[in-house]
Amino acid sequence: MTVKQFFKSSTFKCLITLLCVLLVSGVFLTIMNSLLKVTDEERFARAINKIYGKNVTTESIAVGEQINEDNYHIDEAYLVKDDGNYLVKSTGKGGFDNGTVTCWVVVVVKGGAVSGIEKVVIDSNKNQSYISKINSAFLDGFKANFTPDVPFNANVGFVKTGATMSGNAICRSVNGAVDFVNAKFGNIKEDIFKDKNYTKYIDTANTKGEYDEETATVKFEITTSGAKYKGENKAGAFTIRIAVDALTGVITDYEILIDGSTSATYSGYMLSTIKPDGNYIFVGMDLEAVINFLNNGIELEYPGDGKDTPISSGASQSVHQCLYAAAFATENYKILLPAVEEPDGDGETEGGSENE
Amino acid sequence: MSTFIAIVLSAVLTNNFITAKTYGICPFLGVSKKTSSATGMGIAVTLVMVLATLVTYPIYTYVMVPLKIEFLEIIFFIFIIASLVQMLEKIIQKLSPPLYGAMGIYLPLITTNCAVLGVTELVIGDMSAVLGTASMNIGWAVLYALGAGLGFTLVMIIMSGLRERINCYKTPKAIAGFPIAMVTACFICMAFYVFSLITL
Amino acid sequence: MNKFKKITLDGLIYQNPTFMLVLGTCPTLGLISSAFSSMGMGLTVLVVLTLSNIIISALRKVIPNEVRIPCYIVVIATLVTFARMFLEKFVPDLYESLGGFLALIVVNCIILGRAEAFANKHTVAESAVDGIANGLGFTAALTVMGVICEFLGNGSLFGYQIMEFRISMLAKPAGAFLVYGICIALFVYIVDGFERARRVKANKLARENLLKEGV
Repeated sequence: MTVKQFFKSSTFKCLITLLCVLLVSGVFLTIMNSLLKVTDEERFARAINKIYGKNVTTESIAVGEQINEDNYHIDEAYLVKDDGNYLVKSTGKGGFDNGTVTCWVVVVVKGGAVSGIEKVVIDSNKNQSYISKINSAFLDGFKANFTPDVPFNANVGFVKTGATMSGNAICRSVNGAVDFVNAKFGNIKEDIFKDKNYTKYIDTANTKGEYDEETATVKFEITTSGAKYKGENKAGAFTIRIAVDALTGVITDYEILIDGSTSATYSGYMLSTIKPDGNYIFVGMDLEAVINFLNNGIELEYPGDGKDTPISSGASQSVHQCLYAAAFATENYKILLPAVEEPDGDGETEGGSENE
Repeated sequence: MSTFIAIVLSAVLTNNFITAKTYGICPFLGVSKKTSSATGMGIAVTLVMVLATLVTYPIYTYVMVPLKIEFLEIIFFIFIIASLVQMLEKIIQKLSPPLYGAMGIYLPLITTNCAVLGVTELVIGDMSAVLGTASMNIGWAVLYALGAGLGFTLVMIIMSGLRERINCYKTPKAIAGFPIAMVTACFICMAFYVFSLITL
Repeated sequence: MNKFKKITLDGLIYQNPTFMLVLGTCPTLGLISSAFSSMGMGLTVLVVLTLSNIIISALRKVIPNEVRIPCYIVVIATLVTFARMFLEKFVPDLYESLGGFLALIVVNCIILGRAEAFANKHTVAESAVDGIANGLGFTAALTVMGVICEFLGNGSLFGYQIMEFRISMLAKPAGAFLVYGICIALFVYIVDGFERARRVKANKLARENLLKEGV
């Protein structure tokens, strides 16, 4: 085949047609791309419009280091100049099928701390097949139920939606936004229990305690971290009030304020183990007794399934959190004792200087 | 290692292309009348999925993204898949005529199979739900494509087995063919739904 | 004019791409859990199909036979990319809800099928009517099934919550298969019934005519 023949053959014609079609499409799409490209500003304006229903002026805030990668991730944060609120985009983890929910949270700050949640809007989600069950009544619950220093818990004060796991992820996302704004713009609160003994399953940032002179006890309000074990239906966070005698280190009062069990069934199993005859078994125990309660001894780790211990009750995760809270209180009550009082001369009382 | 297991489980069972994502339904309904043809189709699709991902993923990450021409991805991908299928057909015809006899007839059908384009689009998208903390690379992408192809083949074989049984019975005219196949597929999906409860 | 009526009826009923030919199944099954996204998918396909039919029919004398399929694929891919950009810019809600299925319109058998079976043999006007008719047939089928699945599976219609009762299975792929299968069976049954009635009527007329002639 000569060169001349090639240029006249149908192969050449085919090639030219194909190339022409490709070229025209390429040029058309390039032009359209530059015309129709969605810029980042536009994307943000859309999100704002979804939240406020109108355009507002905002100022971006640097996110900086993440506070709690386990539970949430702060993606973006803005100061809304129109009303002085903070707008935080936060991704809550631990939803259904290990997925996440990303929310826009409008946080109100007054007097150096977060004083309320104005609005929560779901931005996107991953693998949350029941997300459609999260209705506006649930999201409005954040505005109605906000209490300073108490993290949201999907089991408390919310409309039941039927999408528990997605609801948990949304709660974590909102808690994250609140924590972030508090840490960044609130008066900085010292986390006095951080890195102390027996804090693995304790949410130290949300745990409070004070010395009560009248009864000579240390009163704790402990928030646990929620179960950290593999598997479905993890127990949620508990809030437990514990009073420890300042002299002997024995628990004098024990009360579960918020039950994080996933259902009433588990809650019942748990109570039959730790409150068998109407009284909590932890009352009257000191640290040693608490540790000995679990046969596997000092580590006080979650024993896992199949190990024969008193907490293998059908609600091991819930019981273990309650047990752990007791161990935490009996171990760390000395930190909160007033510095002047040192009857037992224990070196631990140095911790008292960290008192507020 | 956990990423490896997560990807394989997710691609084969939890996010099975047919029962969870509903990709590649045309061959699933069209070529599942006999187990032998269903197996052939499944293997051919798996092969093309792996090869297509092997080619499109590097092209997208190392050529299209730096050049900022991501918006041409659909044209590029479909063209790559179409030429790959053509080439594969010619190569198999040349090297192994018996294999061509067994598999060749399915190859041209694969160009317009959404499972292949679907997997190439998926692996360049957001995969963090499957990968966890690990970051995407060519190895994971190809592994995901392989898993997705195997999952596809698995469901194809199950479906063809059931349809062979159904063909033994007389069905009313209105529900013969596609409707009864769809109801069968519905039951397979329900069975596979159980796998979506696995959390890793 | 009769020709256009036939093309329209074929596209809408007798060769309805969803119920009669069972084409374009992937987006159908993937999106009928929500009436909004299934209708959006239907309308997007309608536009892409009509445009591709017009372009391919206009180019049918220019494109050599040997490279026609690659050319069609390029035309369709271009239109789909354009549709994707357009939706992302102007209808972001729909863009989000269609997800991966938007790109997969390229391999939707309806579009390539109509290009190969109809547009490369007919005039531009006929191809345009064919595209609209088939697109409407597809949209109608998807919307009907979307309404059924969303209402029963989620208790809502186009996103508005109507009732609390729901059969969650119907909002999942399993339910999509079930509803699709039942809808095909019903559609075929009804169309067959009409056809038979028409045939019976025609036979009767013919017999009467014969009898008259006989007399």
